[in-house]
Amino acid sequence: MDLHVTKGEKIFYIINYILLTLFAISIILPFMNVVSISLSSKTAILKGDVNFLPVNFNLASYKYVIGSEQFWNSLKVSVIVTLAGTILSVTLTFLAAYPLSKTNLKLRKPVLYFFVFIMLFNGGIVPNYILIQGLGLYNTIFVLFIPFLISTYNLLLIKNYLETLPEELEESALIDGANKIQVLFYIILPLAKPVLATVALFTAVMFWNSYFPGILYLSDKSLQPLQTYIYELLRAVQNIGEGEVNPEMLALLDTEGIRAATIVLSLIPIVAVYPFVQKYFVKGLVVGSIK
Amino acid sequence: MEDTIKLKDKKKSSSDKRTFRRDFKLNRGLYLFIVPAIILALIFNVLPMLGLVIAFKDYNIFLGDNAIDAIFKSPWVGLENFKNLFQSTDFFRVLGNTVSISVLKLIFAFPAPILLAILINEVRNNKAKRTIQSVSYLPHFISWVVLSGIFVELLGLYGVVNNLLVNIGILKDPVQFWADPQFYVPLIVITDIWKTIGWSSIIYLSTMTGINPSLYEAASIDGANKLQKILFITLPSLLPTIALLFILRLGYLLNAGFDQIFNTYSTPVYEVGDIIQTYVYRMGMGQGEFSFATAFGLFNSLVGFCLIILGNFISRKIFGRGMW
Repeated sequence: MDLHVTKGEKIFYIINYILLTLFAISIILPFMNVVSISLSSKTAILKGDVNFLPVNFNLASYKYVIGSEQFWNSLKVSVIVTLAGTILSVTLTFLAAYPLSKTNLKLRKPVLYFFVFIMLFNGGIVPNYILIQGLGLYNTIFVLFIPFLISTYNLLLIKNYLETLPEELEESALIDGANKIQVLFYIILPLAKPVLATVALFTAVMFWNSYFPGILYLSDKSLQPLQTYIYELLRAVQNIGEGEVNPEMLALLDTEGIRAATIVLSLIPIVAVYPFVQKYFVKGLVVGSIK
Repeated sequence: MEDTIKLKDKKKSSSDKRTFRRDFKLNRGLYLFIVPAIILALIFNVLPMLGLVIAFKDYNIFLGDNAIDAIFKSPWVGLENFKNLFQSTDFFRVLGNTVSISVLKLIFAFPAPILLAILINEVRNNKAKRTIQSVSYLPHFISWVVLSGIFVELLGLYGVVNNLLVNIGILKDPVQFWADPQFYVPLIVITDIWKTIGWSSIIYLSTMTGINPSLYEAASIDGANKLQKILFITLPSLLPTIALLFILRLGYLLNAGFDQIFNTYSTPVYEVGDIIQTYVYRMGMGQGEFSFATAFGLFNSLVGFCLIILGNFISRKIFGRGMW
C-alpha cells in the first residue's frame, strides 16, 4: 500500500466510507421497514406512521401467523423438498461429474455437450406442463423437486474441481489394491468436500426459494411450499377473522401486518444460516467463473 | 495444466485406439454413474423439447387419453401459429418491453457492481470491507416473492417513500408506484440493482486482488492522484473480465427477469412491464392458448440459444474462454 497518503486521497477515503455506509444502510432499510410493519398495530400501519421503527409495538401479527396451520404446513413442505432435493441432486451430480472428470473416457465430450445443451435450451412452460400432466406428477410433492435435480452448472463446477485432483492419487491407491468404488468413496469424496459443500448450499437455496412449480403444478394447497404460500398470500385478499381470533387481536391485526410477519418469518432461516455459509458461496462463485 | 494432461494421453496412446466397447467393459461402473443423471435429463429436459411440436399444431388438451396423447391427436397447422404471432400487436409490444427492460438493465445494472467493487476495493480497514461485502450479498439469496412483498410495502400508499415525499412536499398525494406505468420500469431496474449489485461485484473484487500493488506505488511516485490510479490501473486490469461478462450477458438479452416482473406486475403496468415470459405464461396457462404460447416460447428459446452460442463463440475468439 502507499506509504504517503496525500490530502486528496484522504478526502477520497472519507467520501468512500460515507458512500459505502449509505449503501450498506440502503440494503438494510427495506428489511427494517418490513420488520417494523410486522410489529406495529393496524391503525399505525394504515395511518402511514410506520417507517423504520415499530409503532404500537405488538406481536398480534406474529401470533396470527404462528397460529396459522397453512403456514406451518407450507414450511414443512419446503423443508422436505429442500432436504430431499439437495441430497438427491448433490449425489446424482457428483456421481455424474466423477466419470466426466476422467479425460480418457470415451463419450466424455458428447455427454458434456449434452448437459451444456440442456442448460441453454428448454421446452418452455407449456410443454413442461403437458409432460408433468402426462407423467402423473401433477399435484404430488415429487413434482417440486424431481424435475430439478440435474443442474449443469453444478455438474461443471464439480467436474472442474475433480479435474484438479492429481491422477497419481487414484493410481497409487489402485496399485495398493483398492477397487474403484473404494477409491471413489474413501479418497475422492473426502477431497471433494469443499466443492460439494458449495454445491449443496447453492442447491438448497434454489429449492428453498422455489415458488413457481408450486403455482404451476399444484392444485392441493396442502402441498404448497413456503414461497408459493407467500406468493398467494401477497397476491390475494386476506380474510382475517377465520379461525380463533379474539376481538382485541382483531383490532390490532391488519393484512399488511400479517403479510409482513409472514415475510419476516420466512427470512429467518436464510438470515440465520447466512453468516456461517457465506464464504462457501463466495468461493463457489469465484471458482465457478474461472473456467 | 492442460499440457501435462496431453502428455499423459500421448503416453497412453493405445487407449485412444480403444474402442467404445472395450472402454465400456473396462469402465462399466463409471458409465453407470452417469446413467441416472442422463435419464433424468432425458425425461425432464429433452422430452419437453420434443413437446415443442405443439407450436406447429393446433393443440387441444382434451383429445386422446392424456395430455401427452393429445399431442399426437392434435392436427398440424404448420407455421400458422407463427404467422399469427408475428402479425399480432401483442408480439411487438411484448418484445419491445423485453428488449428495452433488458437494455436498461444492461446500461445501469451491469456497470453498478463494477463501481461498487472499485469503491470497496479502496477500503483499507479489512473488517469494514468484509462487513460491507457480507451485507451487500444478502439480497441475492432472497427470492423475488419475498422481495416483492418488501418493496411493495416500502412503495405502497402508506409506505415510507410516499410518507417522505408527501412530507417534504414533492408529492401532494401518495402515488401507487408499482401500479403506475411511468414508474414501473425504473423501479424494476433500481430494485434489480439493489438485489444483484453485491453478489455481482464479487467477480470484479476477486480480479482486483490480482493487481500488482507496486503498480500503484509507482503511480504515486509519478504523482498520480486517486482518480488517475483508478482510471489507469484498476480499470484496465478489470477490462478483460468486464468485456467477457458483457459479451456473455448479451446472450441473455431476451431474458428480462421473469421472477422479478412476475411477482411485481399487475394489469395497469402490462403495457410497459409485460415481457415475453410473462406473456407466454398468461397466454398459455391463463388463457389456454397452448399452441400460440408455445410458438412464442419456441421463438424466445431459439433466439436466446443463438445469442448465447454467438456470445460464447465471440468471447472464445477474443478471450480464449467462454461459459463452458
